[in-house]
Amino acid sequence: MAGHRIGVYVCMCGTNIANTVNVDEVVESIGKMDEVAIARSYKYMCSNPGQEMIINDVKDLDLDRVVVAACSPRMHEPTFRKALETAGLNPYFVEMANIREQCSWVHDDGRAATEKATFLTRAMVEKVARNEPLDKRSVPMSPATLVIGGGITGLTAALELAEGDQTVYLVEREEKLGGNVARLDLTAPYLDSARDLLSELITKATRHPHIVPMLKSNLIDMNGFIGNFTCRVRDGEGEEVDLMVGSVVVCTGYREFDASRVKAYGYGKLPDVITSFELESMIRQGKIRKKDGNLPQYVTLIHCVGSRSEEFHPYCSRVCCMTALKYAHEVKSAIPDSYVSDLYIDMHAFGKGCEDFYRKSSETKTMFLMYGKNSTPSVRLAGKGEDCEMFLTVQEQLSGEEIEIPTDLIVLMVGMEPREDSEQVARLVNISRDKDGWFIESHPKLDPVATTTDGVYIAGACQSPKDIPDSVAQARAAAARILAHISQGEIWTDAVYAEIDGDLCSGCRICNELCPYSAIEFDEEKKKSSIISAVCKACGACVAACPSGAIKARHFTDEQIFAQLEGVL
Amino acid sequence: MAFEPRIVGFLCNWCSYTGADLAGTSRIKYPHNIRIIRVMCTARIDPTFVLKALADGADGVLICGCHPGDCHYVEGNYKTIRRYELLKKMLHDLGIEESRVRLEWVSASEGMRFAEVVKDMTETIRGLGPNRIKIELAADSAER
Repeated sequence: MAGHRIGVYVCMCGTNIANTVNVDEVVESIGKMDEVAIARSYKYMCSNPGQEMIINDVKDLDLDRVVVAACSPRMHEPTFRKALETAGLNPYFVEMANIREQCSWVHDDGRAATEKATFLTRAMVEKVARNEPLDKRSVPMSPATLVIGGGITGLTAALELAEGDQTVYLVEREEKLGGNVARLDLTAPYLDSARDLLSELITKATRHPHIVPMLKSNLIDMNGFIGNFTCRVRDGEGEEVDLMVGSVVVCTGYREFDASRVKAYGYGKLPDVITSFELESMIRQGKIRKKDGNLPQYVTLIHCVGSRSEEFHPYCSRVCCMTALKYAHEVKSAIPDSYVSDLYIDMHAFGKGCEDFYRKSSETKTMFLMYGKNSTPSVRLAGKGEDCEMFLTVQEQLSGEEIEIPTDLIVLMVGMEPREDSEQVARLVNISRDKDGWFIESHPKLDPVATTTDGVYIAGACQSPKDIPDSVAQARAAAARILAHISQGEIWTDAVYAEIDGDLCSGCRICNELCPYSAIEFDEEKKKSSIISAVCKACGACVAACPSGAIKARHFTDEQIFAQLEGVL
Repeated sequence: MAFEPRIVGFLCNWCSYTGADLAGTSRIKYPHNIRIIRVMCTARIDPTFVLKALADGADGVLICGCHPGDCHYVEGNYKTIRRYELLKKMLHDLGIEESRVRLEWVSASEGMRFAEVVKDMTETIRGLGPNRIKIELAADSAER
């Protein structure tokens, strides 16, 4: 054990850590530990000079292990593993103590936070001293990709990959490609035709020699790991086919909020209360009409139906504000003497060209009325002699007055929500969902299309409400990530997996059934179990279950965890 | 000096450790008494980890994993549920209060929930007082 030369680097993260944790004190007490050759603090360890400090110390001071006390390892562990490789050390000889997300950012008491940071750092010093050199596994990368969902996102991802000369299986559960965009007429804010955008993509995709469109099909099972997935797809006729792919892009999009859930608007009961998608379909047919077939004189658009509400969805659906403005234009141009009112909570015009579009819309003589988040407008039917179908009462926020407006047609701007089968899809491809049901990305800022499962990417509105430009950008980003892997020909996967010591294995086979990936084989002749490392995903369930203590979780050994325990206590 | 419990948290990498990180990025405050050890899955947690933590002086042990049905490794947390039940029996036989060891589900999006669990657990352990095992073990070996 003795004889390690460990370098410990305590990051200040600007002031993120240093404002709460006294880093000098941490450096001082850790510096006194037996095998610690040097302990230092620095403003930003992840910066180039920070990494160079480590690399130079490894060389100059002959360090053989490194601990970086900084942010979460989920953030910068790869950064420092690379730095160690550059310094000529095995990348698994670095450990990170999480003193930002799990210390300085969650505690106010500087004393206690400093003490905790010291313990956390000490635990990683104890662990790293027991780390073993690990070799990464290289596995061949299958160049084919499965794209789930044939909407604008899936089509874009498929085409981008196919243009890179790679095979794409494009699975769409409906009988037509196009997804939700196929239900639209014009798009905001430039008012170009959704049909034009889509038809070109669909034509290209269906004719592309590298794209295999699979309509009325669903993914029903997926096994394997990055570079080597086996995906079982069932088509409309019930036929099943196994596809071997290296990557999967989930582009399953969204569904619209069910407007009948907001009781106050009477959707489904009152004939002239419709959803934005129903208006869209009227516009596509060139007929904006009331239920009785006559032209509406007063049209009212209500924003945030199902969105930004404590009762339904807390989030903003992002596209509805601009879509409502688009309707104001379309209604005005179809029925020039109509009166359009727009009832909004806040006008979110955040995208490129959107603020200009908003300004232009106010020139089309639309009446904008601001209602409060907690005061939904109420509807009542008009009496016989009135010249309108209904009245809406609004607690107008800017004037502070209660205003009653006549209306013939109410359009509910329904928000986006995760598809009803998003939970099932998440489970199939082994990714997570956030509290609202959207798929979770690997990192919200730095890794927005990857997921916690290597080789599985998410793009478009299945990740959170998104407009077309953002969805297309994500589709292309995912394709670029995949093409980069394909061009390398093989992929290096984590060296962390479990292994069985044949001498200790008693052949009881308890582990065989425990493995969710069937990664454990049993040799009938030798009466011993062994682990197929490429299939093992390192959960460690077998390790904890082995009565003989014959299974080792690489990088998470009993010895390493015990050392960490002693360190934190 | 007031009793400050020391709690060891074993958190699974995919849900709960990420959830704890989210509490951090969201700046949700919680008691400093918890010190976290990351494991890939709660199914990796050998009951001896928990017993060793208690023997080494932890006043409580918190195990956090993905919600049932949401495990990154399909069903690791179900294995943990079963082991936890056995562990509780063992704790009972050893004369250790069951509530010193707690199993909770915290997803990657539940930073707030993680903070609440830690808060609640810290209060529970504060109420129980220090874990005597370490002292008793020391006295025991001194007698021999």
